[in-house]
Amino acid sequence: MAQPIIQAENVSKVYRLGTLGSGSVKKDLKRWWLTNVLKKESAYFGAVIGEEQYQDQEFWALRDVSFEINEGDVWGIIGSNGAGKSTLLKILSRITKPSSGRIRGRGKISSLLEVGTGFHPDLTGRENIYISGHFLGMTRNEIKRNFDEIVAFSGVEKFIDTPVKRYSSGMYVRLAFAVAAHLDPDILIVDEVLAVGDAEFQKKCMGKMKDVSTNRGRTIIFVSHNMQAVNSLCSKAIWLQTGKIKSTGNAHTVINQYLGAHQRRLWQQEWSPENAPGNEYIKVLSVKLEPDIPEPGTPLTITNALTVKFTFQNNTNDINLVAGLHLFTLAGECVFDIATAPGIFKEGLMEGECSIPGNFLNDGSYYFSIIFVKDTSEPVFYLEECIYFDMEDYRVNTTWFGKWMGYVRPQFPFYIKSVNPVT
Amino acid sequence: MRKNSFWEWEITKRTPWFGADFKELYSFRDLLFRLVRKEFLMYYQQTLLGPLWMVIQPILTVFTYVLIFDKVIGLETQGVPPFLFYLTGITLWSLFSDIFLGTSGTFTQNANIFSKVYFPRIIAPVAILLLHLIRFLIQLLLLSVVLAWYYFTGRYQPDGNWLLSVPVIIMTAGTAFGAGLIFSVISARYRDLMNLQQLLVRLLMFLCPIFYSLAMVPGDKKWLVSLNPLSSFFEVFRYAFIGKGTASMNELVYSAVWMVALVAVGILLFNKRGDQLMDVI
Repeated sequence: MAQPIIQAENVSKVYRLGTLGSGSVKKDLKRWWLTNVLKKESAYFGAVIGEEQYQDQEFWALRDVSFEINEGDVWGIIGSNGAGKSTLLKILSRITKPSSGRIRGRGKISSLLEVGTGFHPDLTGRENIYISGHFLGMTRNEIKRNFDEIVAFSGVEKFIDTPVKRYSSGMYVRLAFAVAAHLDPDILIVDEVLAVGDAEFQKKCMGKMKDVSTNRGRTIIFVSHNMQAVNSLCSKAIWLQTGKIKSTGNAHTVINQYLGAHQRRLWQQEWSPENAPGNEYIKVLSVKLEPDIPEPGTPLTITNALTVKFTFQNNTNDINLVAGLHLFTLAGECVFDIATAPGIFKEGLMEGECSIPGNFLNDGSYYFSIIFVKDTSEPVFYLEECIYFDMEDYRVNTTWFGKWMGYVRPQFPFYIKSVNPVT
Repeated sequence: MRKNSFWEWEITKRTPWFGADFKELYSFRDLLFRLVRKEFLMYYQQTLLGPLWMVIQPILTVFTYVLIFDKVIGLETQGVPPFLFYLTGITLWSLFSDIFLGTSGTFTQNANIFSKVYFPRIIAPVAILLLHLIRFLIQLLLLSVVLAWYYFTGRYQPDGNWLLSVPVIIMTAGTAFGAGLIFSVISARYRDLMNLQQLLVRLLMFLCPIFYSLAMVPGDKKWLVSLNPLSSFFEVFRYAFIGKGTASMNELVYSAVWMVALVAVGILLFNKRGDQLMDVI
């Protein structure tokens, strides 16, 4: 049975926005005078001194966060910007103190909050390996023992006695990561280091973290915006929202909840006949995206089929009508433009439907526009950007977590085979 | 219920006055020595003469002072060759000003690294202290060489006891370290102080008997120099090496009390306030 290695109880961190970095003696003296001499308790919350009003506000970066992490677990911390992820990491790394609550734990912690902690541009690669290693908690003997391996791992052998300011940024990052990769703490805290570096480097990072957790049984706490990475690396996850734990538990479940709540969506719009968009020929009454997801609230992934449905009032009787569907990426590039077969329809309520199979679109943000054309060439009405949706990535059995290229990711029959094996 | 001893460490809002325990500090000794080495390398990075600057700098400074105070103003040096007189004062003064200015920038200069990794914060100023002590020892060597030259060429016969300099060196370094720590905490909060700091150091320099001796100060102005806790250190230091200088026991006790108070307040303030400063810098 796994033992807990970190236990956080009601950890809170509050910043006073007004005092934070004000750095003015005058203001502080006034505050001191008010609270300590005049005994006005309210000094922090908007006391009026002359014409000045102090609008000191409290900002809770974390509020009553409790969790328990078992030995050997890999935890992901997810949440949008400003949710408190970094604050939590800083408290765990002992960089800043909590305002209340406590964290207890066992063993040695190393935190990688940046690539190249303690690196100095003027010093050589060799010196920087030692300095960075010591900052991250390695002893001299540990670094000595691993020195050749670190250099080999970084691939900068030739330049090891050159000041790192002359390195290319790629070499710099590789050397920095090589040091970090040879840490052997009981608990490793990693903040978004994957955000830097090229694809090859990211792959190396992920591989190393997997190795640390599976082969050496170390505990890892990992913050990332890359849900793919969290999903494949972590077994457990914490979802922070405005300083509080929104959800915690099995990584896959928590990520799905998070994505479900954060996906950009405008899946459905309906209008009454009076204010329906359109003109004397066409009035659109509703548009709707019906994704084929198992239950509401689960995120839309690239495997899900999509159905677009729309209804409109047709006020024409004798024109050759065509409906077209344009799919755009959020950046405005058209992915496809498809049209119905032309037809002459009677005046009245009409509906349209288009089915897009799963495993066709790549992950990303998209929107639909609907166009009505008469006589195959003359636009009648163009309803722009009426449906928005996000497609999440879905990958199994892969070690590659970077952005998959292209607007579409179809699964066409594709194979390689050996035709003339050398035996 | 789990036993309390199950957990090895605890993080709460409380900060112990002594920051880290000695066992922890000891475990960071490799970092300390590496930082000293780093600072040392940094000083002479991309210079032609490298560490030679450690002796060239005081020599050039002394030449300037000889030019101004001796040749131009014609200040009296109690029969001691002016070069020797000023070099003695400058050597101890640079120990003080280097340590003070170095440690007082601890938070402002290390803000980046402090916000990314934990280590007992006191390591950073202690590394600066060690660095300047080493530089001082090298400059002391220069002083000895100059002294030997005067002695063997028969130009000046000093009759001091150099052993007296040891406690004075320690106390000067301590005063600078304590004051530097206090300044580092306050100036991290109020950047205003950084502007004043240079001025303060220069003012203090003129209040120290570096180009003059206490004996030369007119009686009614003596209190001003005596008020400066560093004054007696310079007198004793000069006495130790060139046999000229006066300091009473009272003055030394006064200076020692200052030093102990500054070091104690400095370390406590640094440890206690250091953690909170992380949210400010």
